[in-house]
Amino acid sequence: MTAVADRAVVLDGATVPSREVVGNKGRSIAWMLSLGLPVPPALCLPIEECRRFHAAGEELDPDAWASVLSGIGRLEEVLGREFGGGDQPLLVSVRSGAAVSMPGMMDTVLNLGISDEVEAALARLSGDADFARQTHCRFVHQYGEIVLRADLDEPGPDATPAEVREAVRKDTGSAVPTDPHEQLRAVIKTVFGSWSSRRAKAYRRHWGISEDGGTAVIIQAMVFGNLGADSGTGVLFSRNPLSGEPEPYGEWLPRGQGEDVVSGSHDPLPLSALADSLPAAHERLLAAATLLEREHGDIQDVEFTVERGELFLLQTRSAKRSPLAAVRAAVDLAAEGAIDRAEAIQRVTPEQLASVLAPRVAEQVAAGAEVVAEGIAACPGVATGVAVDDSDAACEAEGDVVLTRPTTSPEDVSGMIAARAVVTERGGSTSHAAVVTRALGRPSVVGVGEGATAELVGEELTVDGSAGVVYRGALPTEDVDPASVPGLTELLEWVRELSPAEVDAATAPVDALRAAQEELKPEGSKQEEGTS
Amino acid sequence: MSSATDTELLALHGLAVKKAGTPAAVAAVVGAEEAEVEASLEAAVAAGRAAGAKGTFMVAPAGREWLDEQYPEAFAEFRADPAATETYERFERINRELLALFTDWQMVPTAGGERIPNDHADHEYDTAVIDRLGDQHERAERVLDSFAELEPRLGLYKERLDSAYDKALAGEREWVSGARIDSYHTVWFELHEDLLRMLGREREEAP
Repeated sequence: MTAVADRAVVLDGATVPSREVVGNKGRSIAWMLSLGLPVPPALCLPIEECRRFHAAGEELDPDAWASVLSGIGRLEEVLGREFGGGDQPLLVSVRSGAAVSMPGMMDTVLNLGISDEVEAALARLSGDADFARQTHCRFVHQYGEIVLRADLDEPGPDATPAEVREAVRKDTGSAVPTDPHEQLRAVIKTVFGSWSSRRAKAYRRHWGISEDGGTAVIIQAMVFGNLGADSGTGVLFSRNPLSGEPEPYGEWLPRGQGEDVVSGSHDPLPLSALADSLPAAHERLLAAATLLEREHGDIQDVEFTVERGELFLLQTRSAKRSPLAAVRAAVDLAAEGAIDRAEAIQRVTPEQLASVLAPRVAEQVAAGAEVVAEGIAACPGVATGVAVDDSDAACEAEGDVVLTRPTTSPEDVSGMIAARAVVTERGGSTSHAAVVTRALGRPSVVGVGEGATAELVGEELTVDGSAGVVYRGALPTEDVDPASVPGLTELLEWVRELSPAEVDAATAPVDALRAAQEELKPEGSKQEEGTS
Repeated sequence: MSSATDTELLALHGLAVKKAGTPAAVAAVVGAEEAEVEASLEAAVAAGRAAGAKGTFMVAPAGREWLDEQYPEAFAEFRADPAATETYERFERINRELLALFTDWQMVPTAGGERIPNDHADHEYDTAVIDRLGDQHERAERVLDSFAELEPRLGLYKERLDSAYDKALAGEREWVSGARIDSYHTVWFELHEDLLRMLGREREEAP
């Protein structure tokens, strides 16, 4: 950490300041840099400055602003770029970073520092005028929504910055500044101001968090994944988060910007494509993932960008994983010595274990059964019942029923509660039926196609909400053989050893896990270090 | 609303939005006195437009048909008002964001476009979703203010949404998308249904 004019700090990893000083995100950046990992250089206005800002009646202290400017100068030096102009323009992201994350704080503003002139330079640099224009539009849109609180439609792919500016002006009566320094100053004030937003205050009141804290401002250089064939963006999981296999798993999008991967608007390539085209960056990425996994003692989900052959890590966090992967990774990490058995047991939730052990339709039974409808698996689980197409009928039925509807509306909720499973013809994974069945824990398959359920009424059906398949008849389910799930035998054995005697781990493994977790005090977990 | 000052129409409309409910629940939707709503629902039962048992009422098929006949005239002014249509477009925009948000709340994205049930163990993740809910809630408040200028009753949804949001913010997770309570999702869908009926539109299913 290097102090600039006493106020801002450049996060360079020389030291790792505490989260009370630079916030959670600031600390993470410094921590990754201290491990020698490649992270885009960043600057931080510490939490102290937020308190000063509010004490001064929401005014940015002149010394703080001066130190931001000299800090930006340091980023320019390190990167050989220029903020607000030049042939090699420096764009930055600006985000809030309190010691504890909370709703109501300002979201990230990306691509700050762009103007018509910078857009032209970016177009020359990338050889992609559309990208430069869209980057400019995205910034104006984001500034409008976040700083000026405009309510806007997403700009289309052909929108111009002038059009987006005009939309913001029309909605708010205010203009988005064209001067990058003015943009930066306003966004910093918005970050500090968001500490006392209505929502942030309400959250702190509910959770008993002190009003005396504040948020830091993190200003980080943007890196670009679309500056040519040796650039791109992707995500890397330090091991497979679906199967739990101890192999890195990732996606790579050549010439892609971060949002392209997240939004799913482009089809990414497997990680092997990165290994083929940019072996040095690939090797460095895998080494970084191994290091981060070891430091955290858990599967890491790493967002990265390669800019003209140079790797940058943008974020790392503990990976979201399937129940199968949770079991396998916990046992493997313990076997590798990264965590102990007590910690491994803490890593699998009772819900995950219950899901892994849930009875399922045996493969050979499913193979021989008649599939009467297929759609989107909206809520996992298997259930059987007689199909009814009316919510009142579902409520009045004596036995188990499956509710089949073209689509559902609020008036179907009572029928969905009464049914064992739900099938709809229209709608996808965000439809009313999908949201409500998940809230109720009813297996569901949605979007099986117009008219596909009409002939099923009165038939007995088995709905597999995990596979998105509806079978004719009541199919038998079978218990899971622990030997068929990697890691499960070991995990159940450890649970049996560590759970209290009065719980029968053989017949009630989920209860035993819960009891074992109660007994085990969570140790000072390494996960604390994480970025998010 | 032009000629729909008729409490029976309003009470039956409120009941249709909820499908079934007590006079108190219907009164909360339509913003009328509970006793008045109860009397109207009793009258609807007598006319064969509703059924009632143990203080809970349901719309009868004949009541549905009757409502469909009444709507065009009852809400003629609302339907013809360009401000209502324009505000509904803004509502739809928030609706799309909220549906994605409810799904993110319930199912967490992981590798390869797969999703897994949210076990709510990751505080950061949940906080980020609640933060997005707050953004959409603020947008929704502005839309409901606009609707309330045209139809004051619709302003009531603001209080119900605010109550659900506030509980979600306080960590009572079921108030985001719980199906058996007046969660944010439940109230939002009732509002959607209410607007669709008033405007005479069909629901477009979410992807």
